[in-house]
Amino acid sequence: MSDPRPVFRHIGRPVPRQEDDRLLRGYGAYVDDLPEPPGTLYLGCVRSPVAHARILSIDLAEALQMPGVVAGYTAADLTPSIRTMEPDRPKPGYKATFRDVMPTDRVRYVGDTVAVLLAEDPYLLEDALETVFVDYEALPVVVSIEDAIAEGAAAVHDDIEGNIPFAGEYKTEGFDAVFASAHLVVKDTFRSARMAGVSLEPRGVMASYDKGKGALTLWSSTQIPHLLQASLGELLDMAESRIRVVAPDVGGGFGIKAHVYPEEVIAAALARRHGGTVKWIGDRQDDFVTSTHARDYRYDVEMALAQDGTILAVRNRLHVNIGAYACFPFGSSAEAGGGAIYLPGAYKFAHYAYATHSVFTNTAPVGVYRGVAAPIAHFAQEGLIDRAAAALGIDKLEMRRKNLVQPEDLPFTNAAGITSDTQSHAACLEQALAAIDYDGFRRDHPRGEIRDGKRYGIGIACITEHTGQGASRYRTRGLHRVPGFEGATVRMTADGRLVAAVSQSTQGQGHLTVFAQIIAEHLGIDPSAISVEEGDTATTPFGSGTFASRAAVVAGGAVFRASEALAAKLKRIAGHHLEVAPEDVELVDGEARVAGSDMTMSFRELAAIAHSLEARPLPDGEEYGLESRAFYDPPNVSIANAVHAAVVSVDVGTGRVAVERYAVAHDCGRMINPMLVAGQVHGGVAQGIGEALMEAVVYDEDGQLLTTQLLDYLLPSTCDIPDITMAHIESETDATLGGFKGAGEGGVIGAVPAVAGAVNDALGETGAFVNQLPLRPETILALLRPVAD
Amino acid sequence: MTGDKIDISVTVNGRRYRRAVEPRRLLADFLRYDLRLTGTHVGCAHGVCGACTVSIDGRTARSCLTFAVQVDGAELETVEGLAPDAELSAIQAAFHRNHALQCGFCTPGFLMAARQLLAETLTPTEEEVRTALSGNLCRCTGYVNIVRAVMSAAEDLRANREASHV
Repeated sequence: MSDPRPVFRHIGRPVPRQEDDRLLRGYGAYVDDLPEPPGTLYLGCVRSPVAHARILSIDLAEALQMPGVVAGYTAADLTPSIRTMEPDRPKPGYKATFRDVMPTDRVRYVGDTVAVLLAEDPYLLEDALETVFVDYEALPVVVSIEDAIAEGAAAVHDDIEGNIPFAGEYKTEGFDAVFASAHLVVKDTFRSARMAGVSLEPRGVMASYDKGKGALTLWSSTQIPHLLQASLGELLDMAESRIRVVAPDVGGGFGIKAHVYPEEVIAAALARRHGGTVKWIGDRQDDFVTSTHARDYRYDVEMALAQDGTILAVRNRLHVNIGAYACFPFGSSAEAGGGAIYLPGAYKFAHYAYATHSVFTNTAPVGVYRGVAAPIAHFAQEGLIDRAAAALGIDKLEMRRKNLVQPEDLPFTNAAGITSDTQSHAACLEQALAAIDYDGFRRDHPRGEIRDGKRYGIGIACITEHTGQGASRYRTRGLHRVPGFEGATVRMTADGRLVAAVSQSTQGQGHLTVFAQIIAEHLGIDPSAISVEEGDTATTPFGSGTFASRAAVVAGGAVFRASEALAAKLKRIAGHHLEVAPEDVELVDGEARVAGSDMTMSFRELAAIAHSLEARPLPDGEEYGLESRAFYDPPNVSIANAVHAAVVSVDVGTGRVAVERYAVAHDCGRMINPMLVAGQVHGGVAQGIGEALMEAVVYDEDGQLLTTQLLDYLLPSTCDIPDITMAHIESETDATLGGFKGAGEGGVIGAVPAVAGAVNDALGETGAFVNQLPLRPETILALLRPVAD
Repeated sequence: MTGDKIDISVTVNGRRYRRAVEPRRLLADFLRYDLRLTGTHVGCAHGVCGACTVSIDGRTARSCLTFAVQVDGAELETVEGLAPDAELSAIQAAFHRNHALQCGFCTPGFLMAARQLLAETLTPTEEEVRTALSGNLCRCTGYVNIVRAVMSAAEDLRANREASHV
């Protein structure tokens, strides 16, 4: 559908957020800030301290005698009343996977919940948790990908042979012949760290059961209220009509909160059992131990090239350590499937083959996290281009220019079968180079120069971002629990004001503001006067939730469509009373006007007519009310793109890498609010710099987690992230309603390969290339040592 | 462990409170659950993230590392006290204008830390702003717009001060 409005009044403006005022005054209401009903009980979880063991006995006797303790339950008490989670159904390549929210027979990672206590006070709860005694019989532990797939490795789940619940393969026709004929093959093994998402607000949930109505209300720091509602209904055998899930203010998510967690299900089950309110608030240690981890990939990638630097074919062998259980609702394949298809990215080679595997280990479950597998896919790809450029004696930029998808190639279907109608790599590259002053850097920093004990390097990464995936995409990927579409209701109240309810939930992206901008565009009213609500299953239409850069595209499309229909109805009513055709009516500044005349009707008048609150009738055949509901399922996937440019310094004495300057040229189609797009990119870049340089979740060989606090897991601070220069390109697409593409993940996807590439550049004539993240001082010093010696 | 409660008297945002608290009760919990001032957030409980930053007798402090009994007789200010009137303070307004908050969970701590800096100097360099805020973690913004907002607030406050001297 092509967009009818060449000129936009509200879409495209940097409107400050309507979310801000209350948050700035300290009036935000995150789940732990909500008033607690009288009699609220606090839930505490007894976690397994061992990575793999049979549970022999659990002794709650002493805990139950402690002050304030009301009840205690072992898995044997609770699990029979809660259905087993089934993230994956069996089909070719996918094995069925299962998880009990509390395992009854054996624990599979440090953090599995074996018993719970309810107490009247959180301090007394902590005292009592110390006294629970559990006897375990240790079982063999597998921690790394290599441990888990080794011959004779212990099985994490008895029914999953070789610890591989998902495997996929793909090869373009004629791949082998082309690969064999190549002038040069470069290859390496690229590894990411295991990471933690670390939203500043840890997870939390409060569940209230109304015995009279038999109804459950559950407030959770979730990104997926509607999918959580559906899951609770399934796992607790309750009608969804009796379950209301509310995501209040949520303090960051980044994908980590887009999963259904055992604590949500346990809190709901116990609220029902006790007929009251049960509250669980995770602390930072709970978050590191039990929230989904991320990344933990091994990419073995080979790139075949012609002598002139043309990339001919890429072979990708990928393993993902997904921990002890498949995450819910995404299942075992989200990372491994994504990592396989992200790799062709911005480059137009014709031949691609992959073999991808998810691997169970005795570690915390790994789930989706901003960027999913794409940052490491691009780290591998850009890293191999750097190696090939060095081997062939071709300039790195020249290599990229030669292989990028160009405007004349569009629409383009890449070697993994992903089609896109618009991409602007070449334009983004030139803008990013200008913004970072690439030529100036090259002039000022001769190769191999060490200045004040530092080497300097510049890195360029050309990336794609798979955004706004629709129902067809999730079906293709085998993610049968992810719907893909979104819904929106736009309504004019009887006093002529506008309210909307959207199927999303927000964790800080600014949804309320951008959806108000879309509504404002159609209804001709200032966005600040429009109230948008999200996160409550009782008041918002069904939808998938907030993840995978989908809000602007998918929910934005639903808002777009609902707004269009409501505007059309207002024009019909106004046209009828003003005695003109609806198409001669325009909606501007809160009223309906006849173009080229002084005839107007206010929204208040139109609303009164539509609600039968005044003498004038509705036109024949028009329904009462001013409410428009729409669902939108976008095309398969919308490909956004960007070029990131980073300048780093590498201290040759200490090995410390610092990001000195940073620039991004970014294209997410038509921007609804460029200020918020920039904010998304900034935050993503910071997470990418953390991923590239410092963040790592560490287990020892026994599966003990060594990074359980922010003292152990280093996050970037104000001193680690430089100012970021942004350039925006808005490729026009009519593939999605409004021409929007997603923007949530490009920042992190680009930052990882750009920073790694800058370090490669700084290492320069040493001939060393990085292949393992994070690039901490010890890694850098090891790469520099041969030179020093 | 539990112990006898101790009477304390504390002024928060200009209002006097008298309460009996256990010696082990954290100031953050006292503010959040006893006084229902939930704008102060706890992100790590180890003094690393800075979300719980409040002002005690004019100096910023981690309320997650302070016991409530330690502030007996003290004057505290929390995020709820920054804009007693309808208008946002200059720092809050600059955060809004510059899109310096996303999820908002860390924001109260940043506002308190920024206020301390601008109480000391209205002409901070960008590096001084970064150093002053380096004890506060944000996972959403990449700090870019936070630093810009504090620089912008300093400029506004300078302009106000000059205007008031005219």
